Amino acid sequence: MKQSRFLPVFAALVYAFLHVPLLILCAFSFNSSKFTIWEGFSLEWYRAMFNDAQLAEATWNSLVIALVSTFFATIIGTLCAYGLWKRNSKWLSGSLYLSLVTPEIVTGISLLALFQWIFRYWQVQLGMHTVILAHIAFAIAYVLLVVMARLRTAEPALEDAALDLGATEWQAFRLVTLPILKPGIAAAALLAFTVSFDDYVITSLVAGVDSETLPMVLYAMARRGANPVVSAISTVIFLGFGALILLSERMQKNT
Amino acid sequence: MNRRVFSVAIAGLAACAPRNPRRLNVFNWSAYAAPETVPDFEKRHDVKVRYSIYESNEEMLARVFSGNSGWDVVFPTHYIVPPMREQGLLAELDHAQLPNLKNLDPAFQHPVTDPQLRHAMPYMWNATGILYNKKVTPAPTRWADLWEPHWKGHLTMLDDPAEVFAAALRKLGFSLNSRDPDELHAAQREAVRQKPLLRAYLNTEVRDQAVAGDILGAQIWSTTAQQAIDASKELAFVYPSDGFPLSLDCAVILRESPRHGIAHEFLNYLLEPQVSARIAESMRTATANGAARPLLSVATQNNQTLYPPPEVMARAEWFATVTPEAQRLRDRLWTEIKSA
Amino acid sequence: MNRLRTLFLAPAAGFTVVLFLIPLSIIIGYSFLTRGVYGGVAGPWTFENYQRLFDPLYGVILWRSVVMSTAATALCLLIAFPLALFIARADARWKNIYLYLVILPFWTSFLVRTYAWMFLLRDSGLINSILLSLKIVHEPLPLLYNETAVVVGLVYGYLPFAVLPLFSNLDRLDKNLLEAAADLGATPWQTIRHIVIPLCAPGLRAAGVLVFIPCLGAYLTPDLLGGGKSIMIGNLIQNQFTTARDWPFGSAISLALMALVMILLMALLRRDGEEAL
Repeated sequence: MKQSRFLPVFAALVYAFLHVPLLILCAFSFNSSKFTIWEGFSLEWYRAMFNDAQLAEATWNSLVIALVSTFFATIIGTLCAYGLWKRNSKWLSGSLYLSLVTPEIVTGISLLALFQWIFRYWQVQLGMHTVILAHIAFAIAYVLLVVMARLRTAEPALEDAALDLGATEWQAFRLVTLPILKPGIAAAALLAFTVSFDDYVITSLVAGVDSETLPMVLYAMARRGANPVVSAISTVIFLGFGALILLSERMQKNT
Repeated sequence: MNRRVFSVAIAGLAACAPRNPRRLNVFNWSAYAAPETVPDFEKRHDVKVRYSIYESNEEMLARVFSGNSGWDVVFPTHYIVPPMREQGLLAELDHAQLPNLKNLDPAFQHPVTDPQLRHAMPYMWNATGILYNKKVTPAPTRWADLWEPHWKGHLTMLDDPAEVFAAALRKLGFSLNSRDPDELHAAQREAVRQKPLLRAYLNTEVRDQAVAGDILGAQIWSTTAQQAIDASKELAFVYPSDGFPLSLDCAVILRESPRHGIAHEFLNYLLEPQVSARIAESMRTATANGAARPLLSVATQNNQTLYPPPEVMARAEWFATVTPEAQRLRDRLWTEIKSA
Repeated sequence: MNRLRTLFLAPAAGFTVVLFLIPLSIIIGYSFLTRGVYGGVAGPWTFENYQRLFDPLYGVILWRSVVMSTAATALCLLIAFPLALFIARADARWKNIYLYLVILPFWTSFLVRTYAWMFLLRDSGLINSILLSLKIVHEPLPLLYNETAVVVGLVYGYLPFAVLPLFSNLDRLDKNLLEAAADLGATPWQTIRHIVIPLCAPGLRAAGVLVFIPCLGAYLTPDLLGGGKSIMIGNLIQNQFTTARDWPFGSAISLALMALVMILLMALLRRDGEEAL
């Protein structure tokens, strides 16, 4: 297959576009001045960041929420995509696509209204559980979309062949279709994690007193003006996750 | 895992279980507490405080409106107190538990929205004026000066309908709390006329841009302006001669809170002169605490931006709670301004 | 076949009903109520909120939002497609790394990155500083606080939503087909045009939907990068639920918007059959 030079160059430009803001933040996280004029190298913002207990708690909350909701949303969404692929259910697929179409503020307010109504009968408050439930709910549709796109390229005939050869439906799913879906599921999980970790609008509405997340803290800090601690946090997240990814890739190659 | 290890683990966990500490959940504006304010309170009163911040009344209200938010103390601006009271969100303040109320500056002891201080405790106050770069000639002195063509592209107004209407209404000589449809329509037309001169509608973000010199004039709050002036010698602040709005941020205790006692302790703590003075000095806010004023540095006490002299204050007008009909009209007009 | 399928669909169905359809019906209810005296909702039941929508003011806002969202979506797809192609064709060693590199920026706060863009585009920002020092311009260009900045911001914010479904689709492409085309004398461009693009139509549609719809409802990007000077549908809705505290009207606008988009989606589905999405 002929390889053109266009693609790699283009890709490099796009990556630059995606990462330039982060490099800026990175640079200014080492700035000794609070404002956006370079005044000297300093690590004080990193020190401030590590001493911030509220930040640590918010980061932990975000991670927990994102991991738990990604886990459930990916499973539920993938199974749902498979089920709908076999035979569509108009109301279910319609509702899920509708949930994609709903503006975030509406999703947030509607869930808040639901929870408040429930709380009148059950003495529960807003908290981590409400945030996780909300995240799973909106992530399912994203997972569905990505996995469906992959399923469309799969051959139903393969499963039929397996069934003819005596496999049960579950075996056909697990041994024939699921392996084909794996990259799609991985991509979907990645998307779900991203959407959950970075969510602000819905989370801020359904979070309780104890469930502050990283986006909520960052929003509060960033809206007050240029805050180098915010840049420091972003740099750490970027490098931290980057390192994690490299590590997991290295580990996968060794197995 | 054998039984011995298991029982030791359980015992360990039990030892770590919290012994029911005293807690308080406080939701406040950003930059309204000095770094040591909350830790000092925690130490002195043996309370574990969860302290979170917000940027606007709406953000706070959205969380608190349900009556089930988990917060104990919040800080609404004075014109939000009546609606919160009507909604049954507020607990009555027990003045017996607030002996430090006497520290309040006489000007703030009977705010117009809660004269008896039944629900709200005055905390910090704010005014809106014009921040400008000294390069600009002639220097602005009234709202009407913000409609001059020489600002072209280097002017910002606040992204807040109440503030923009206040400026336009005062420019026309009307009350900034006007409910009259004709006056509001006239104000809207003025705002649309001004729009081509504007770079953007910005709130606190304009501070950095003013310091950097991108923006030469901005409608902005006094505390934010003072922070900008601290950072750049080229900036100055003026209270418009045609009148300007005042707002008072108050502490309230939510009725849903199961910790009224501790909440009162916190409010009383905030009223202590040293505490209030520390916050006002380090965060550059204007305190409503009269007993704290003498404790401020001389420079801060005489700061005309944060503590304007009486003749300037005479031109000010407190924001009033907007009636629902007036709110509807204002929202509609604000959408028209933004869409123009 | 039915038992397994029902089992697979049950959790999703449960979540959808309890955490989406029921809350949605609450919002539908709100849209027919009146604004509470100081916020929230109250009786009486009324059609007034929907009647207000027919005001031309809102039509203008909707139109502007549609135009900007379409521009952002088109740009997004144009950028995402070659990138997804590049990743799909990469060595298995690098594929995941490339994917992660797309996603990684998005694990830092969206607001923070938007502020970084504002820093770049400001009059005293990096881009203008470079242009001025290279004497390409004599005065700073107003790059920020206009509709172009908003579109750039939208593209930036939703690029991975386009890349991931496209990649998911392209990755599955049968390499043999492409080799066959090359063997038959097709140039790379012809191969892409006549084979790759049609085969990844589902991915393109998924990507388009995943970008266009959030763009339409976006409010933070237009607010920050547009300087609050122009108002999009997302801002309008956001405003109703916060500053204006007019939940019924906000609900009505949202439902009208959702209905519009659903009609669009269904038209797409009907035209291309079930395979469209």
